[in-house]
Amino acid sequence: MKGKRGIAFMLATATVISGVLGGCTGKTGLKESESKTEQTKSQSGGSKEGVTEVSFWTLNTRQNAVEPIAEAFNAANKDMKVTVSYYDTDGIKDACKVAASSGTLPNMWFNWGGSLGGFYAENGLSYDLTEYAKNNGWADRFSSGVLNLCQLSGQLSGYPTSYNVLDVYYRKDIFEKYGIKVPETFEEFEAACAKLKENGITPISTAGLNGWHVMRFVELLIEHYAGSELHDSLNTFSTSYNCEAVISALTKYKEFCEKGYFPEGFVTTDPNDTKMALFSGSAAMDIQGQWYDGVIVQDEQDMNLYGTFAFPSGGSDRLSAFAEMTQFNAKNTDVQLDACMKFMDYYYNEENVKKYAEYYNLPLPNKEAKMPEGQPNVADMLAAAEANGTFTITDQAFPTEVADALFNVQDAIANGQMEPADGASKIQEAIEAYRAK
Amino acid sequence: MGDSKKRDWSAYLFILPAGIIYLSVIVVPVFYSFYISLFKWNGIGKKEFIGFFNYIHLFQSDPIFLISIKNNLIWITLTILITMTVSLGFAVILNKQFRGRTFFRGFFYFPCVIAPIAVSIIWRWIYNPNFGFMNQLMKVLEIDFSQSWISDPKVSLYAIFAAALWQAVGQPMILFLAGLQAISSDVLEASRIDGASGMKQFFFITVPLLKESFVIVIATLIVSALKVFDVIQGLTGGGPNNATQMLSTYMYSQTFQYNNVGVGTTIACVMVFIMMVVIIPYVLFTAKED
Repeated sequence: MKGKRGIAFMLATATVISGVLGGCTGKTGLKESESKTEQTKSQSGGSKEGVTEVSFWTLNTRQNAVEPIAEAFNAANKDMKVTVSYYDTDGIKDACKVAASSGTLPNMWFNWGGSLGGFYAENGLSYDLTEYAKNNGWADRFSSGVLNLCQLSGQLSGYPTSYNVLDVYYRKDIFEKYGIKVPETFEEFEAACAKLKENGITPISTAGLNGWHVMRFVELLIEHYAGSELHDSLNTFSTSYNCEAVISALTKYKEFCEKGYFPEGFVTTDPNDTKMALFSGSAAMDIQGQWYDGVIVQDEQDMNLYGTFAFPSGGSDRLSAFAEMTQFNAKNTDVQLDACMKFMDYYYNEENVKKYAEYYNLPLPNKEAKMPEGQPNVADMLAAAEANGTFTITDQAFPTEVADALFNVQDAIANGQMEPADGASKIQEAIEAYRAK
Repeated sequence: MGDSKKRDWSAYLFILPAGIIYLSVIVVPVFYSFYISLFKWNGIGKKEFIGFFNYIHLFQSDPIFLISIKNNLIWITLTILITMTVSLGFAVILNKQFRGRTFFRGFFYFPCVIAPIAVSIIWRWIYNPNFGFMNQLMKVLEIDFSQSWISDPKVSLYAIFAAALWQAVGQPMILFLAGLQAISSDVLEASRIDGASGMKQFFFITVPLLKESFVIVIATLIVSALKVFDVIQGLTGGGPNNATQMLSTYMYSQTFQYNNVGVGTTIACVMVFIMMVVIIPYVLFTAKED
């Protein structure tokens, strides 16, 4: 009996000791240097046997391009290895926030400018590329506009990957069928919507799950009623959102909801599905960026059926715009940063851009960038942005909780739960609560 | 006598590995969460001690938090009333002898193995007001009724509950089925001889004998109802206008989207408190009865 007890005691002791030590060091028997390497790898990529391993988080909509490009890069660069993870639009925002809180951000990640990318710059989590850009002649390579949009909290916070402008995509055949001209004034836009509705076509395809797609229309209404100067002032919180212009914009939005100018039940439908209504011809317009030409190509739609126009908000008919970039972990070593940059340069080289054109938001934000072939609306939209001017898209201008307050107001007005004046007041309350934080 | 009082210390060594894991992944994080809830913190920067301000703020001046509590209580009630009743009904039917019984057991359990986020995608399509199955079915049946199932704030919570019910029935059904199979046929036979009808036999013999199954089913259903997340996040993200906001989704937004980690952990602590308030008295009460 004593013998059995003794064996059990020894076994248990061994289990505990190996378990505890295993938990402490990851793998028992690892040499100190190997153990450190493992720790570095788990934090932000690492190096193993002369191979610099770096991690990259990006959007799953680009997977068809990123995957083969990363494979080719790894094959061509035996001393580097890029590991890619994919997320959907909202998933990547959350994943990066979670990783930021737990100190497990990848070596590089896709992000947007404004408040979304700004969080990482403000908290010292993204690499300040100011010096790197100076040493590598970025001023001669990237357009100054997009470099400005990547300047966040006083640092150059990312490698610019695209400069996006949003326009109204419309079905030329449907407009033609009902004798509708491309609207040049807001009144003509309203008349076009009325005519489409009379003929059983939903004027505007939009979807409210996560709020930002509906916001694209609401912000244009604010631009219409506020004008460019006041709109900019509203978005920098210099002027109260609880003002006449915002109330008028929300009142018009309410009117559009009541008239059925958006698809039924749009409040909780997925923004990825707005194309279904447009492509099937049950809706005639959708507010999208120039990347949408790529979507039309990917989904094998007839490009000739689609045109774009700047929303006739009045004034210069400004377009909303935003930048996309790749941010780099502030903890990257020089070797890791070099590997990341080498991959970015490879990913955005001429050959890959040409081969996978529909998976890039083209044109690239480079000086003298080439317009993509087979995507005719891109050049028109960029020309319109150049001529009309742009304003920062609202969900990048706003911090997330204020943007969410706007999204809730959009939902509540669409469902008849809130009056526009209360909506404007709610948004301002959220702004004040944010500022008081 | 002296020997029987002697402690067998080796037994403690056997539970030590599990104890260490439990302490490190459950107990310590729970206390750490409570500690964080006393701070204003964005998850990265410096923590500022604010005592119980987060708790006071949530209960006194955060209407979304109060909506979330209300929604969670509705969800718990629906879960106890409907999920439990339906799963018990299925278990009773599937406990009877009939042809194809094994197939139907698998058939009704099947949704339970699907990931909740996949369930939400399936039901998003079913509920789509323009292309979805529900409204198309109405059209095919020539019923003049269409509904924005998850966009209408009056209906959305219940529509999501129906989607969740489809998935949630399987697990308690299996537990009830196990309980039913443990009931001795002699007891049922005796009650039949004593003249108990089908309904009387069910309510006065079967249900009391399923007491242990009820304890575990009700406790697990309450816990899962309080922490419901995936199906809500996938279908509405807590919208429209917070109509389907739950404590778990609001906690997630506060913590990971708004970077209010202190507020987020406060909501988590409130969730734990509600669970303890509901479940512990229930389990103690039923244990006392035994």
